[in-house]
Order: sequence, then C-alpha cells, then structure tokens
Amino acid sequence: MTTREQREEALREAGHNTFLLHSDDVYIDLLTDSGTSAMSDRQWAGMMLGDEAYAGSRNFYHLEAAIQQHYGYKHVIPTHQGRGAENLISRILIKPGDIVPGNMYFTTTKLHQELAGGTFADIIVDEAHDAYSSFPFKGNVDLGKLQALIDAHGPERIPYVSIATTVNMAGGQPISLQNLKDLRALTAKHGIRLIHDMTRVAENAYMIKLLEEGQGERTVADIVLEICSLTDGATMSAKKDALVNIGGFLATNEWDVYEEARNQVVIYEGLHTYGGLAGRDMEAMAIGIAESVGEDHIRARVGQVFYLGRKLQEAGIPIVQPIGTHGIFLDAKAFLPHLAQTDFPAQALAAELYLDSGVRAMERGIVSAGRDKDTGENCLPELELVRLTIPRRVYTQAHMDVVAESVIRVHDRRESITGLRMVYEPKYLRFFQAQFEKP
Amino acid sequence: MEFRTIIEPFRIKSVEPIGLSTEAQRVQLLKEAHYNPFLLRSADVIIDLMTDSGTSAMSAHQWAGIMEGDEAYAGSRSWVRMERAVQELTGMPHVLPTHQGRAAERIVYGHLGGPGKVFISNTHFDTTRANIEFSGATAIDIPIPEGQDTALDHPFKGNMDVGELDRLLKLHQGKVGAVILTVTNNSGGGQPVSLANAEGVSAICKRHGAVLMLDCCRIAENSWFVKHREDGMEQLSYRAIAQRMFALADGAVMSAKKDAFANIGGFLAFKDAALAEACTNLLIITEGFTTYGGLAGRDMEAIAIGLEEVFDPHYLNYRIRSTAFLGDQLHKLGVPLMRPIGGHAVYIDAKKLYPHIPPDQYPGQALVSELFRLGGIRSVEIGSVMFGTYAADGSLQPSRMELVRLAIPRRVYTQSHIEYVAEAFEGIMAGREGVKGMRIVKEPQFLRHFTAHFEPLT
Repeated sequence: MTTREQREEALREAGHNTFLLHSDDVYIDLLTDSGTSAMSDRQWAGMMLGDEAYAGSRNFYHLEAAIQQHYGYKHVIPTHQGRGAENLISRILIKPGDIVPGNMYFTTTKLHQELAGGTFADIIVDEAHDAYSSFPFKGNVDLGKLQALIDAHGPERIPYVSIATTVNMAGGQPISLQNLKDLRALTAKHGIRLIHDMTRVAENAYMIKLLEEGQGERTVADIVLEICSLTDGATMSAKKDALVNIGGFLATNEWDVYEEARNQVVIYEGLHTYGGLAGRDMEAMAIGIAESVGEDHIRARVGQVFYLGRKLQEAGIPIVQPIGTHGIFLDAKAFLPHLAQTDFPAQALAAELYLDSGVRAMERGIVSAGRDKDTGENCLPELELVRLTIPRRVYTQAHMDVVAESVIRVHDRRESITGLRMVYEPKYLRFFQAQFEKP
Repeated sequence: MEFRTIIEPFRIKSVEPIGLSTEAQRVQLLKEAHYNPFLLRSADVIIDLMTDSGTSAMSAHQWAGIMEGDEAYAGSRSWVRMERAVQELTGMPHVLPTHQGRAAERIVYGHLGGPGKVFISNTHFDTTRANIEFSGATAIDIPIPEGQDTALDHPFKGNMDVGELDRLLKLHQGKVGAVILTVTNNSGGGQPVSLANAEGVSAICKRHGAVLMLDCCRIAENSWFVKHREDGMEQLSYRAIAQRMFALADGAVMSAKKDAFANIGGFLAFKDAALAEACTNLLIITEGFTTYGGLAGRDMEAIAIGLEEVFDPHYLNYRIRSTAFLGDQLHKLGVPLMRPIGGHAVYIDAKKLYPHIPPDQYPGQALVSELFRLGGIRSVEIGSVMFGTYAADGSLQPSRMELVRLAIPRRVYTQSHIEYVAEAFEGIMAGREGVKGMRIVKEPQFLRHFTAHFEPLT
C-alpha cells in the first residue's frame, strides 16, 4: 500500500506512463492480462516435471499433443511468447508490398507485418469503432471491405487474412462463428489463408455460446475446435487464455510453412523443440490449455469481468459496450470531453486513476496507435480508451469493488483533470516507454 | 586429511528418473532421428551431454526464487533484483533482459552489423556466427595458433591472436561491427582466455575505436583458470577476476543458461547509454518489454541467484575438476582429445579417432551416432557439419577441426554417470576401424546442424 504522496512521486518518475511504474508501487495491477495469470496447483506440479533437455524434451511432445487435441492444428513450433510467433509468420508469408487485412490492428502484430514489408488493412465491421454500439459481435469482419481489397489488389497480394479472437483493441469483442464461416467461404474462393491470432479464443468461444443462435448447448471446448478448424494456422500468446506466465506458439496445417518456421525459429527463438522456453514452461502451457477450455473456469473468468463492468455502468461511467471478455475499456473521450485527443486523454486518465488508488491501467488510444508509417503524423484512432485488464484467477470480488470505487471517485472530479504533453518518444511501439509531463 | 576424491558440493533433493534402453532399440531410434542427435527425443537418451546450456540443476535457493517470481508485465520486483545483480557483477549500468543468449546476440549484432561489416572473435559460436551472417556481415575467427593444435598443452588456448587483431582492425578500419571475446572459448574447445590477453585485446580495440563485447556465458569457469594458471592472480577471488574482465569491455552478452544455472534467460549489458537505447528499441519488438524481455518474473529471480552461486569456490573447484576427471579417464584409454581439458566439456578429436573418414564424410557425426548406439549417450558434432560451407563448385570447405563435444550439465550427473561414459569409450576404441562416415540427405540454409538429415555410408 502506498500514500498519495508516494504515488505522486512514483508517477512523476515514471513520466506519467503506467508502463514505467515499479510493480512494488502498484496496489491492484490491471495493466494487462498477459502473463499475469495465477497458475493452478496442477500447473505448478507440471513445473516440477520440466525436462530441460535442449532437444526433444518430453514437455514439447506433451505441448504438441495438447495443441493438436484442443485446437486441432497439425504442426507446432513453440516460441518464447506471442510476438515471437508473429515475427516468424510475418517473415515467412509476407512479401514487400503485400496487404494483410485483419479485424482491427494490434500493436505488435501490425509492427511485425510492417517490418516484413506488408501493410495492414482494417476490415472490421464499422460497429467496432463505435464505443456505444451494442452489436454483440463487434469482432466481425465486414466482408464487403475484404472483397474491395481483393478487387483492388488481387488475391495474390494478400498472403493471409489475420483474424483475432477476441479483438483486443475493440474492447475485447468477439467474432461470431457465422461470420467466420462466411469469411472462410470468401477467402477459400480466392485461395487466401486465414491466420488465427488465437490468444483469447476460449473467451471468444464462450461469447459465441452465450450470444449466438443455436450455440447455447455446445461446450466451449467444442466451439474452440470449430473456430480453429476454419483457419489454416495460428499465432498464440499463451500468456492470456492458456494461463501461463511465459510462452507462445506458431501452429500451422501446412507442411511447407512448418518446415520454414522450423528453420527460422532457431535463429530467433531456439531449437524447434523448445523455442526459447524452459521445459517446465511448455508443461505448464500444455496443462493450461486444457484448463482454459473448461466451462467452470471460463464462466468465472468472464463473469468477473462482467461484474466490474456492470458496477461501472450502473454508476454512469462511459465504457465500451458491450462489455468485453478480458477487461473494461473506459471511454476517455466521453470521460474527459474537455480534452482534445492530442492532449492524450486516455494517458491522463490512466495516470489519474493510479494517483487515486494505486490501480494500474493501460492507455489504448492515440499513444498506442503510433504514427502513420508514410506521413509520420499521429494516427488518430476513433477509440481513445483506458483498459482495465483483469488478470485470470488473481483478484477477488473485493478487489473489483475497490477498482469500481476508485473509477467512480475519479469520474466525480473529472472536470479538474488536465491533459499531458509527450516529452520522450521512442522509435517503435512508443506506448511502452514514452514519457509525459503536465503542461 | 587431504582427500583425493572431489565430492559434489551438494546433495540431491529431487530426482528425475532416467529411462534405460537397449542397443537394438537405439539402432532404431537413431534411424528415426535421421542420425541427428538434435532430432532424438530426450526420453530416449540415457546420459545427455549434448549441451551445458539450460540443462543445469537449479539449487533449492533458486527454486525458492521461482516461487517468488513477480509476474507483473512492467517494473517487476524480480527484474529489479536481476538488474541489480547484473550491474553489480559487470559494473555496467544499462541492462536488457532477453529470453536467451541468441536473442541478445541478434539484437546487438544486428544493430552493429549489416552488409559490409566485419566481426572479429577468438572463435564465433554457431548461433553467434549465424546471427552475424544473417545480418549480411562477415565473421572472422582469430584464435592463437596454439588453439588449433588439439594435442598441444597450453594454459590459455582460448586466447585471441592480438597481432592479427591489430592487423585486421587496420585493414577493416571503419567497417568493424564489434570485436567479440568469448570466455571461455566454446568452439575452440572450452578453453580459457587469460586476463593478460583480454587486456591486450581491450587496449588494441581502444586504439582503433572498436567496440569490445564480452561473451561472458562461462566467465566464472574462465575465472577459475585465470586464478590457478595466470601469474599474480592467486590472491584474487573468482568474482574479482570476472569483474576485471568486465571492466575491459564496452558491453557484455550472456546466455544465463550456462554459468547462471538458469534453464532459460540471458541479457545484454552496456556501459554506453546510446548503444543500450538502440538495442532497447529492437528488444521490445521481438523479445518483450524492457523489464521482462520475454522472461517470466520467476526466471529473472533464478538468474539473479545463480549469478551469485556460481562464484562459490567449492562449486567452481568441483566443476572444473570433475570435467577434467572425464577427460583424464578418456586420455588413459587413448582417446584423442583436445588438451588441456576445458571448463565445461571434453572435446574428442574425431579426425584423429577416425583417420580413415575424410571431413566430407563427417567423422564427428559418425562418432556422435556411435556414442548413442553404444551407450545412449547424446553428444554433438562441432566440426564440418556445424561450420562447413560449400564452395562454388559444391565441394565442402571443411571446418579446421572435427570435434565432438561432451558437454557436462552443471550439478546434474554424478561420478558414476561419468564413469559409465568412459566405459562407453572402451567400446568406441575397440570398434573404431569399422566405423563408416555419413552423408547429408537434407539440410536448411542456416544452422544446418539442428535439423539436417544424415545417412551412414555403406
């Protein structure tokens, strides 16, 4: 626990960037749900069964079998985390000048596509950019937008369509099974691959079960398998759904892609049977994958996020609708209408929340969006959000109550909150390390 | 009483069972793995001497650290602890965590390298060379000439040829990416580098304005040799010797999977803030945020603790003496070895063991297969499979040496395991004349030894 004076000092030292705070100075850490899960007793037991052989570790074969069983992909390359897999798939499939359509950008994914010479194209439905649309499947693809891209560039310039389950930057919003099937039919017609960014696939499957017609009686595990079966390969940060603190993988049904990935993974990550992971971490991942598709787990997980979201809604706090599966996204534009987007309202709101209670949140707005790679201008995303991300199995309902109280308190005195000025800006992924000052 | 026997300065709290196989099973397993030890399953290996990297047994203290891991994405306590441990050891203020050593290499050598650039080392290791060549730069090895003669006894065979360094730095003025001093020198036989040699290298680098990077993944083992072999060093602690060496370099790259007893992890450390900042930009793209670099918090705890433990004199004495024990056993059997024995491994001279097998039939790979067939022992070739290149006409340009490495994992095996390995060599010596060479059936463009397929020649 810290005092307000201590937090003021810590925030100043961190340049008003919550990424630069020391974990010790944080009371409730909602920066990310990535790598912050509590592992189960079974996973910890698995940690003790680590086979740390450099080549052919038993844990690798267990992981491979778990991925084949629960996700259905044929070939598996472990990586130290999700971005390691994104790096590989981008280098293998994208040629300079290619277009990579996707259901909204994600920071690291887009960067890897650009570094490989590609250009990201957003094909998400328009509702995703409207914080208050109550459309249940805001992660859906607008097939018309994709068709237009295919007509304009030709299918040969589109190495794959990248599909995220769920869509993080839209507020943790799911894609429907029907939309995915329609997308599959369209891309198959043009011989375009679907690559699945599957970091929260179980959460997406749960939303399909809850909201999509005819899906209510199915198990989450079954829906997960069907989602995967509609795609050709996947990148996974296992630090989310799969309940581990470190790890990820690249999966593919194509032998050629697998073979090339196996050659390249050695350069970036490690040999293809450990990919830069300790054996014990592959074991924890294999067990975590099985746990992540369990009905009781996923109901409690998403239920906790909804609990916090509803509390805030009842208090009249502007949040992205409908409530996403891994966090609550505060609408900073509506929260702080007196600030221009170039005053970094989401960054300012995250800082203010930390000052109030020691709750750490993350900016997902103009700072995260970065600059246009051609013009060098700030990208101005429709959504200027603060993400309160809930780690899995870590915090209790009482913790959620504290968070709600703090957000409401900050909201009560919102008119006194001023904007920020950026005083340090790094070259890539600036949100991680940028520093700000109060003017 | 003075004891001849060097006991392991630890006892075993938790055991990992070994599955035993028959020779007939191993013949089949070898075939299925295309005679490449990297494609064997760990469960089928009896004694795994493939590498000392990431295979260490952690201490009870490290496992306690594992339970204390702070998994916060940003600003983790465990990171603060690791950062301090690295700063105190290296004296370098800027530290970047990475998921393992090759990621650290790729970042710094990718930044300093590129087409037209030249890197100079006592010997580049396989992943180091691959990272440099992948960036379009050239890697030049300049070990001292004594390092090339496997039978010659010399206390510091890992040394760099300083005269040649001076000449190359003049020749390639303005095009030098970095000079890399690897301690101990892995590819050259796990041989130590003297402090005097490091001082000479550092002075020449300074004169030419070249960046000196210390590849320090086995620096504690190197310090043992310096203390016991170099004049005037007896009074210094192992840690103090390491710190003197760090003081000579501009930066350090470490795979913590060796001397830090970690199963995963590595880091970069720099004196210069600008170089650190440039590397930080690359770190975030492929590794992770600056305060975790692709590692779980718990692994950063284990690294911080391991960096302390490794300088324990009882441990280092046991470590170096037990590696020598295997070498001495094999020497008595007449097995041609790299002499004197290095810190982490025993290197067999396969060219001398199998004089009837030419380099383009990979005598080292043949020995690796034989060792697995006879004893279920996994080793690795460090010769023309790992370092060979093809000339324009398709003929093999062989490596200078055809070695097989028996790397000893730290704190994992006991003396009886090592005696079993020596016994397997009795069989190797008895059957040496009948062994045939190998041919490569399939290979990738880079780092072919990891995934290539082989076939025995008939």
